[in-house]
Amino acid sequence: MRAALAIAGVELRRFVKDKGNVFFTFIFPLVLVFVLGSQFGGSASSGTVTITGPASDLRTAVSEQLEDNDVTVQLASHDDMLEQVARGRTDVGLIIDEEAVTAYSDGGSAELEMIASSSSTSSAAQQHVRVAVSNLDLQQLQLRALEEAGVPTTEASEALDTAAGQVSEPTLEVVSVDRLSQEFQGLGQFDLGASSQLLLFTFLTSLAGSSTLINARRQGVMGRTLAAPVSTLQAIVGQSFGRWVIAFFQGGYIMLATWLLFDVDWGNVGLSLLVLAVFALVAAGAAMVLGSVLDNEGAAVGAGVGLGLVLAAIGGGMAPLEIFSDTMRQVAHVTPHAWGYDAFAEIQRHGGGITDILPQLGVLVAMGLGVLLLGTWLLRRSLARSL
Amino acid sequence: MTQTAEQQKHTSTGQDVLVVDGLVRRFGDLTAVADVSFRIAPGETYGLLGPNGAGKTTTISMIAGLLEADEGSVTVVGQPMGPTKVAPKRHLGLVPQDLAIYPDLSARENLTFFGRLQGLSGGGLRARVAEVLELTGLTDRAKGPTKEFSGGMKRRLNIGIGLLHQPTLLILDEPTVGVDPQSRNAILESVENLSGEGMAVLYTTHYMEEAERLCDRIGIIDSGTLQAEGTRDELIRLIGGVDNIQLTAAGDTEAAAEALRALPPVARVDADRGRLQLTVHDAPTAVAQIVTTATASGLQLSDVQISRPNLESVFLHLTGKALRD
Repeated sequence: MRAALAIAGVELRRFVKDKGNVFFTFIFPLVLVFVLGSQFGGSASSGTVTITGPASDLRTAVSEQLEDNDVTVQLASHDDMLEQVARGRTDVGLIIDEEAVTAYSDGGSAELEMIASSSSTSSAAQQHVRVAVSNLDLQQLQLRALEEAGVPTTEASEALDTAAGQVSEPTLEVVSVDRLSQEFQGLGQFDLGASSQLLLFTFLTSLAGSSTLINARRQGVMGRTLAAPVSTLQAIVGQSFGRWVIAFFQGGYIMLATWLLFDVDWGNVGLSLLVLAVFALVAAGAAMVLGSVLDNEGAAVGAGVGLGLVLAAIGGGMAPLEIFSDTMRQVAHVTPHAWGYDAFAEIQRHGGGITDILPQLGVLVAMGLGVLLLGTWLLRRSLARSL
Repeated sequence: MTQTAEQQKHTSTGQDVLVVDGLVRRFGDLTAVADVSFRIAPGETYGLLGPNGAGKTTTISMIAGLLEADEGSVTVVGQPMGPTKVAPKRHLGLVPQDLAIYPDLSARENLTFFGRLQGLSGGGLRARVAEVLELTGLTDRAKGPTKEFSGGMKRRLNIGIGLLHQPTLLILDEPTVGVDPQSRNAILESVENLSGEGMAVLYTTHYMEEAERLCDRIGIIDSGTLQAEGTRDELIRLIGGVDNIQLTAAGDTEAAAEALRALPPVARVDADRGRLQLTVHDAPTAVAQIVTTATASGLQLSDVQISRPNLESVFLHLTGKALRD
């Protein structure tokens, strides 16, 4: 065991010494989490409404009403609003023109124009806008009724506020029944990207790192190791353990960094680490296979990066599995990434426990043992080849 | 360096440190090693002398337990050796022909890693690493990555790793290949010192001078077969103590060759484009008679060279080709 630990330790030391690894392991994944989260990440709000029009009491009042219902409100010029709607960056565009502002101030009837985007959450956002405008309309009617009864405007407003605090108003809860919206409900802006990038980079780094195994074999270090009082099994366990430690360390780092920097919610951290540990086992085994099959370090890096990207693309490491067709989702589950994705989704979005992720863990463990055994057999053959 | 308890034990009992018996290894249709047998006594330096591709490294791979022998056996300090055997490997220190070091790690890190594989740890490991760094003259460069080392420094580190655990038998596989003359001399001196301290050494080389300088006994290997074995003098006696004389001349060399073959001390004459290669008994005595006969045959001599027999001659005699072929 001491020999295996020594081999694992030296592999880790070599990995850390490589400056290129520092960038691709520690910096690049976070940059991608940030970029993907900024571009595609949904917020935890109930939609986004972009308002255009001059600053006014009406605009302020509508904004407050929407924000009270967890709707994200943005202000923009008319042209920018139209572009955002067209590109799907906002769910609804709301135009509050001078005429509406004046009518609202005078207690008259104001008309607001709403432009809906084609996003799946647009309907829910439109409903939020309607509710907000209805609430304002009701408040205006109540105020006017009190004023007509002879109550001064200031006192009438105060009386309405007091009454609102004493009466429990009927509320309208807007629920989106869209499948995707429900799936991603409550997910933070960077949560999805973080778990996807964790899977992508953990696997990719392991595969690319298989070049060190080839390097050790070609330079005779593996041969020298086996000429010491070290069994082949110990050498293989040491190499695999080294790869596993690197993968687990990188995954753990991504979890910690995204939590600290982007407030990513990893759900039950213990369970997430367990999923990571099992996924890293598959990555380590795959690296052993690649490092044993190939005899050239450059080819191993190229093949590792290529294979890592392809598997991640198929397995939900680049785009959510939920937007895949049913057939592609089935194909995706040939990859360990898809099983890891499902397990993280269960933990992060649904508060799943150990029993909920047992199927995913079981499949990942089976995959891990399979590739490790294959890697062991192939490494033995490759050692004989290199002598 | 002092002898380890293990070295002292085997020196005192006189038991052979290494016994190689009838080793055979095939790769498909190619028989790389065919029935190789030899022994190494404690403190003895044994040389395997042969050209590239003779089967030296394959033999060493089987001795070090890296390669399974198809036939035959290897016994190290009385224990059978093979790829699945761990215990006998404790007695071996292997210095492979390739630089088996991590280039991205420092000399100290390399030594520490391989020391751990040998079972060293803690203060003992640190002390041995410091000793070996001193021995190999790398103390000042202990922290720098070895990829920045010169070829000679890498070779010294490569040897140092093999010495780290003070093995009973040190195996050096062509340790001076690609090394500058100064480093080469330092390596040869180190090996001389080791054998003087009681460590048995198995040294493979295709440099005749190294084998003559270092080895107590030499095995001449070619095409996977051990052609002959013995001390330098024993091997030279195998070719009957004949010398070589080379004549460079203008004239009818064929006619001169016929005349020279008739002389009693001359065993053989080969003529080739202005050169005559003679194998003779007692060249210093016979040279005057040979020059006279050649001149009388009409040759105009421009050069006469006498060479006494050496391992190169032995190899040529045994295999019909030069060591560097």
